[in-house]
Amino acid sequence: MDTTSAADAATPLPAGPREHLSSPTTRAVLRLQHTVLDATREHLGGGGFTELLPPIIGPVTDPGARGAKQVDVDYYGHRYKLMTSAILYKQASLTAFDRIFCIAPNVRLEPLETSNTSRHLAEFHQIDVEIAGASRDDAMAVAEGLVAHVLRRVVERSAGELEVLGRDPDAFADLLSGEPFERRTHTAAVADLHGLGHDQNPDAEIDWAGEAVLSAKSSRPFFLTDYPKGSRGFYDKENPARAGRLLNFDLLAPEGYGELCSGSEREHEYGTIIARMRETGENPAKYGWYLKMVREGIPGSAGFGIGLERLTRYIAGLESVWQASAYPKVPGVVSP
Amino acid sequence: MSGLSAGSFPEAAVRERARVGAAAAFPALADYGRALFGAAPAVPSGDELDAARLVPPVFVPERLEKLIDLAREPLHGDVDLGAEVGGFTSPLPLYLSAFGSTQVASADLGRAASAQAGALGVPMVIGENVVPVNGYGRLDGAGGRSLLGRISAYADAVPDGSGGVVVQQSTEDADAEVWNLVYSDPSARPLLDSGRLGFELKVGQGAKPGLGGLTVVDSADAGRLSAQFAVEDVFGAGSGRALRSASPGTFTEEILRQQIRLMRNNFPRARVWVKLPPGRDVALAAAVAWEAGADAVTVDGAEGGSGWAPTSFLSGVGLPLAECLRRIAGPAGCLLVSGRVWEGARAAKCLAAGARATGLGRAALIAVDEDPEAGLTRLVECLALELRLLISALGKYRADALTPDDLWSPTGWAVPARTPAGTVTR
Repeated sequence: MDTTSAADAATPLPAGPREHLSSPTTRAVLRLQHTVLDATREHLGGGGFTELLPPIIGPVTDPGARGAKQVDVDYYGHRYKLMTSAILYKQASLTAFDRIFCIAPNVRLEPLETSNTSRHLAEFHQIDVEIAGASRDDAMAVAEGLVAHVLRRVVERSAGELEVLGRDPDAFADLLSGEPFERRTHTAAVADLHGLGHDQNPDAEIDWAGEAVLSAKSSRPFFLTDYPKGSRGFYDKENPARAGRLLNFDLLAPEGYGELCSGSEREHEYGTIIARMRETGENPAKYGWYLKMVREGIPGSAGFGIGLERLTRYIAGLESVWQASAYPKVPGVVSP
Repeated sequence: MSGLSAGSFPEAAVRERARVGAAAAFPALADYGRALFGAAPAVPSGDELDAARLVPPVFVPERLEKLIDLAREPLHGDVDLGAEVGGFTSPLPLYLSAFGSTQVASADLGRAASAQAGALGVPMVIGENVVPVNGYGRLDGAGGRSLLGRISAYADAVPDGSGGVVVQQSTEDADAEVWNLVYSDPSARPLLDSGRLGFELKVGQGAKPGLGGLTVVDSADAGRLSAQFAVEDVFGAGSGRALRSASPGTFTEEILRQQIRLMRNNFPRARVWVKLPPGRDVALAAAVAWEAGADAVTVDGAEGGSGWAPTSFLSGVGLPLAECLRRIAGPAGCLLVSGRVWEGARAAKCLAAGARATGLGRAALIAVDEDPEAGLTRLVECLALELRLLISALGKYRADALTPDDLWSPTGWAVPARTPAGTVTR
């Protein structure tokens, strides 16, 4: 593995795939991840969700990834993209089923500065959920229920793996207490960070260092809501009662592990989506298939995506997110 | 020389400066002691900046301050031309404007200009069309002519702590994700890590306000391009050429505000510049941009631009730079302007009217065409000497000390005092 260009991840990267795959740590982590996926399918399947297999390439993909570059694919002479997220297809899929989920592979050529955040991968998976007719609160309730269920199953079924990893199951006691996850607005979080001397731009995403600070202060996952409009993609719905604020949320893990999940109520009105595309610097012309569906009508919805490797990292108590991938792609690092 | 021409521009004078440098700021040396000089009769000019004059005062309190500071009478060499240009440190109140989208601008001159701008330590804007025309230079083998080639030519030459590279993107090439590419590319990392990378949102341009990019393409390429651009056969079927038009992009106050916020959100370590056309609401647009957090607003006067444009636009559309400056009077942030700037007097007039720095576009292209090794360097040396002479004549010793009081215009230059430095609000 060539680690010369960005080898400043918190934990030294393995020398090669054999060393990584055969290490007891990796084996325990991947078995734990298997339990997470089993529990996810069990919970969502039991809740009436249909699992779809998402596309890998398409003429257009989610532009909402902070600073990351999309990967172009030559599709019979047409420029296609590897999916950065399944969002457009999630909304479209609600014309088939009212409740869907995917375990979706994503590729984002993240800025090189993310190589040492311990929580960015250029290739990763999301547990993607979308619910027709749902509000933001509905989606947050599903996300909260899903994370709690997964953690319960891990504690029940993966005690051996947690022991190999040195992860004390008591770390999840607060999460599994049945108390609802705390909710805090973006504005309140910015004020907290300013109070701690952290220079957070109030019009932007909570930066990575700021997220880690907030996360470290908590003992169970918590929601941040109402991000400013200029910080997210065109599909997060603007709050009609609070201009400039979005009906969206992030779920942050405790203990400094940071963001696990992003979600929102979605824009689904054609004219609003076009205007929001312009506000996010997008050229609507390239979204032809999507806009045609929107114009003909798609259901209003809410949904979210949980980073599978990030969730695994938190549960396993890993120093770096790459440890939760069998074939990790740390941004900028040439690897198999 | 490549045969590049600029009929509407004082091309011969720029070429002379590219050859001889600072000496070109004066009449021919051979005439010294032999000829009589004096002002030529004023030539009626449609350009108000040309018609305006810089007017030194008799009483010069700031010279007294400088005298006290130096303990000797100050000279023009004591003028500090250093400027903060859109978040970058520059030894001169100058930057290199993006060149237009023509074939002319996209040849190897771009690389020559990059290397010289880097050595001078002045910021440089790389135009939107470099990627579609010459490629990224990452997997396409385009080498030095590409976007990344120009960035490395600049970065290899630039002194530590000075200058910066600003990469432009417009509505159409948002598809190419130029900013995302540069932000995540290893070759741009030294600039990013030293705070010397910026992105410029191109809202419009001087030569053709209200229109997007226009280029002439081979008819053979028309089919391939028609998916993304309007391609029209306006030159006759036998010409083998067709007109390719890009969209100017749709902007409202909210669209501009949110695009800037998203740039700051997505590229937090890059400076954000916004390039405005000389529109009648240029002052409002500039105010929106600064309020949303733009590090600089660049305004291209109607006399600016090196690119190809309809003659009706060149002669009759858009506000002249002088009027843009008048409307933006008292800018609330860093204002950068361009439009027919090639020598010190016009640059100094722009500074006095509120600009923090002026851009060199056509002048830079002609200078590197005259001498790819040092043409731009000499042009800038000459311009810098003129600026020092002019600013010291006005009794001032810093480039940002000029004010509208230093200008006289036959039509009156009713410009309120500019906001003092340090009061920019976000």
